[in-house]
Amino acid sequence: MARVGVFTCFCGANIADFIDVPQVVEATKKIKGVKVSAEYKYMCSDPGQQMIRDAIIQNRLTSVVVAACSPRMHEKTFRKALSDAGLNPYMLEVANIREHSSWVHQKDKKAATEKASDLIRMAVAKSIANEQLHEISVPVTKRALVIGGGIAGIQAALDIADARIPVTLIERSPSIGGRMAQLDETFPTLDCSQCILTPKMVDVASHPYIELIPYSEVIELDGYVGNYKAKIRKKASYVNFSTCTGCGACTQKCPVKVSNEFNMGIDKRKAIYTPFPQAVPNKPVIDAEHCTMLLKGKCGICAKVCEKGSIDFKMVDEVIEREVGAVVVATGYDLWDPKPYEEYGVGRYKDIITSLEFERMVSASGPTNGLPLRPSDGKVPKNVVFIKCIGSRDEAKGIEYCSKICCMYTAKHAILLHHKVHDSHAYIFYMDIRAAGKGYEEFVKRAQVETAATYLRGRVSKIYKKGDKLIVRGEDAQLGQVVEVVADLVVLATAVIPYKENPPLARLLGISYDKYGYMSEAHPKLRPVETAKAGIFLAGCTQAPKDIPDTVAQASACAAKVCGLFSGDTMKKDPMISTINTENCTGCQNCVTVCPYQAIVTEEIPLGHGSKEMRIVAKINEGVCQGCGSCVAICRSMSINLAGFTDPQIINEIVSI
Amino acid sequence: MNKITYFPGCSAHGTSEEFDHTLKLVMKTLDVQMEEIPDWNCCGATSAHVMTENLAIALPMRNLVLAEKLENKTMGIACASCYSRMKVTKKHLDENPNLAKKINSTIIDEGEYHGTIDVKSMLQYCFEEIGLETIKSKVTKSLAGLKVACYYGCLLTRPKDVTHFDSPEYPMSMDLLMEALGAKAVDFDYKTECCGASFSISNTEVVESLSGKILEVAKESGAHVIVVACPLCQSNLDMRQPDIEKHTKTKINIPVMYFTQLMALAFGFPEKELKLPKHIVPVEEALKNIGKIEPEPEKIKKTKKAVEAESEVV
Repeated sequence: MARVGVFTCFCGANIADFIDVPQVVEATKKIKGVKVSAEYKYMCSDPGQQMIRDAIIQNRLTSVVVAACSPRMHEKTFRKALSDAGLNPYMLEVANIREHSSWVHQKDKKAATEKASDLIRMAVAKSIANEQLHEISVPVTKRALVIGGGIAGIQAALDIADARIPVTLIERSPSIGGRMAQLDETFPTLDCSQCILTPKMVDVASHPYIELIPYSEVIELDGYVGNYKAKIRKKASYVNFSTCTGCGACTQKCPVKVSNEFNMGIDKRKAIYTPFPQAVPNKPVIDAEHCTMLLKGKCGICAKVCEKGSIDFKMVDEVIEREVGAVVVATGYDLWDPKPYEEYGVGRYKDIITSLEFERMVSASGPTNGLPLRPSDGKVPKNVVFIKCIGSRDEAKGIEYCSKICCMYTAKHAILLHHKVHDSHAYIFYMDIRAAGKGYEEFVKRAQVETAATYLRGRVSKIYKKGDKLIVRGEDAQLGQVVEVVADLVVLATAVIPYKENPPLARLLGISYDKYGYMSEAHPKLRPVETAKAGIFLAGCTQAPKDIPDTVAQASACAAKVCGLFSGDTMKKDPMISTINTENCTGCQNCVTVCPYQAIVTEEIPLGHGSKEMRIVAKINEGVCQGCGSCVAICRSMSINLAGFTDPQIINEIVSI
Repeated sequence: MNKITYFPGCSAHGTSEEFDHTLKLVMKTLDVQMEEIPDWNCCGATSAHVMTENLAIALPMRNLVLAEKLENKTMGIACASCYSRMKVTKKHLDENPNLAKKINSTIIDEGEYHGTIDVKSMLQYCFEEIGLETIKSKVTKSLAGLKVACYYGCLLTRPKDVTHFDSPEYPMSMDLLMEALGAKAVDFDYKTECCGASFSISNTEVVESLSGKILEVAKESGAHVIVVACPLCQSNLDMRQPDIEKHTKTKINIPVMYFTQLMALAFGFPEKELKLPKHIVPVEEALKNIGKIEPEPEKIKKTKKAVEAESEVV
């Protein structure tokens, strides 16, 4: 005989203002099987939970219905209350009378109240058919895979490894370091990027718990949380890293010059190269697209000068496998191409550059030895105009969002310009100054006051050439006037956009991404580090534009999540998954096709008891199944059962309406 | 023989007679028959759409309905402003099926609107339907030596969602057309800035400041001639030039020609067919640059060679 307890929540005013709760409680008492019907202002609070616990014990309740907010919010809370009172936690049903009634029917209290009563009646009926369920344990492989060797990946790898958990860190380029390695000094303290980054890079290489695989990429990820299997392609470097000493003779003698991507194309690198002098690992690779030996079979000078014989032109890509329990995605960002700004003469005028090009020039180890130079004639610029929001906050040409970091790095560039060229002057065209962050507003002030940068609020409408100068024509909205600035150099703060390969990578990993191509977090506020797929986490600009402090914080948060996941030898998992009734299964395998998680496989069982003939039936992988129910709906022989959503439960709900 | 429905607009029969005349010469050379819309009316220009929306639709709509009756694929328009009004109206009518009925029942009724005709500016027609190769094949007198600044004005390529032609900020179609004639099109940053348009009458100072800037930048770019495709732009840049010179106390002296005048010249028509006396700023001096090709300075040759060498594998 069922003895159901129903507990209706006011949710402060959220529910009580639009639903007549006392009326609902009275109506509920009349439902068959309900033993207790009570109300409270905040059912999720400790007194509210105590009320449930007491009622379970006093009335020997067999199931509980909580009428409150969405189960996504507090289902876990109330399940725990049940189990504390000795009841199986899966005897709980939540009637969502907030999102499904009070919030959406605010103009009609009577109807909202009636709907709430209906929802509760359905939940009561369902709970009567609930079965006792128990959490599933799955084993865990205690190794993490970190994708991306920028500051986000480096920080996540180091923090996980420091907890003595093995990490495999893979990086697509020949060296770790990422975008941060390209920066000169960092806001808001102006400490040198290389000085704070390179020690961490060395730590990665020497850490006993980190396996660093540079020049590689993930090509496949199978399995489920705690038990992933990753396939990694190690791109052919044509250099045997185990014998190479990194002496650099090959790079010196290589006759092929190509545009240097690390320096944003300002200078040239060789076809056999290390991206930058502080690279980790400090071993060269051969760029197969430009090497004349690999393209035409001529040259081979590098092999001749290499004393160790480390050059191997016959090297091919190698695919390796790693079993990991968790994955941290830290693919970083790209910069928006300002080509659509035709009215500025982008692409026609050499002296219009992007912020990262400026950054490379002012970098002490950059192609111009730290001095900004005009690309057209190599002269030191005196008047430099910085234009912010190029592509950001621009629905017509670029993207809608704010790139977050440009206000700060442009202030930094104004200061750096002043440091490098004392008699220079910076003009900064801006829409707003967004300097929220510790020490950020003060830093912008420093650019405005100490270096006397001229901040002009307004957009630039036009850049045209006059002699060897560029005339920047824009609006000073605070004066309400059109202004023209004579510039030697124009620097465009281009928008941060996601790494271009994010969408294919997301599909490969089975995680979602947004309309721009950023990887999606599970919840924008409460689960900003997790993805919707258990065991895969996000760090840095792979999720959204971020500065270094935020990136490092998120990377450490990823590490905490990974360590939490690996804290036991097994992992608990919700028991609400499908099971197959092999007696009825016809082996049609429709369920195998529809399952979005590849959780269903087939197995062979004897045709009858003791029979030698075999037949095929479906089989659920408990660790992978997420309980979505697709297989239940497609199954023609009704042989699949989804725990927590069984046919009797659903039929009870329908009948009760 | 190709046929095109022609909408001259009011200026072609008045202030921009040289445009209309040379356009007809050029089209004849290119084997295009122009059928002028019988009984066409004013497009409404700036006045209609600042006063009433329905009239601003009704006036161009009547022309569109009449144009459709001629059953040509394309309607070519000489004036940029007429072109803009016609294009905007066509977009409104195509997107709101009931609008045509409403206009017909209240204002003008020349018959049903079908939306079957393509509306193009004459520049767009030359570029897209005739093609640069055909134009090139008709050139008998190359314009080599002449440096031109191509000025499109604000309406020929804008708004992008209405015109669907060339870039709204830095178009190149006229530049390419001029290069097909042998002329050198210079980099010209002010090619799509506003000339002041119809403020020429009501607020001349505005036009003088806006057109003045365009002339200044064109001069700076080293062009001998400004080339235009819009009668109002032409009159502002040409007619206001002496006043602008007076105000700024600098000599600008840059003639403003229609692209069709230069096409006619390149197709071998004599100078007198260009109706040059209609210009305020004399053109003859600038045209003398044709045939004068500056030799490439040694230094540029050297750097060019160096750049070429660098791009190759060492």
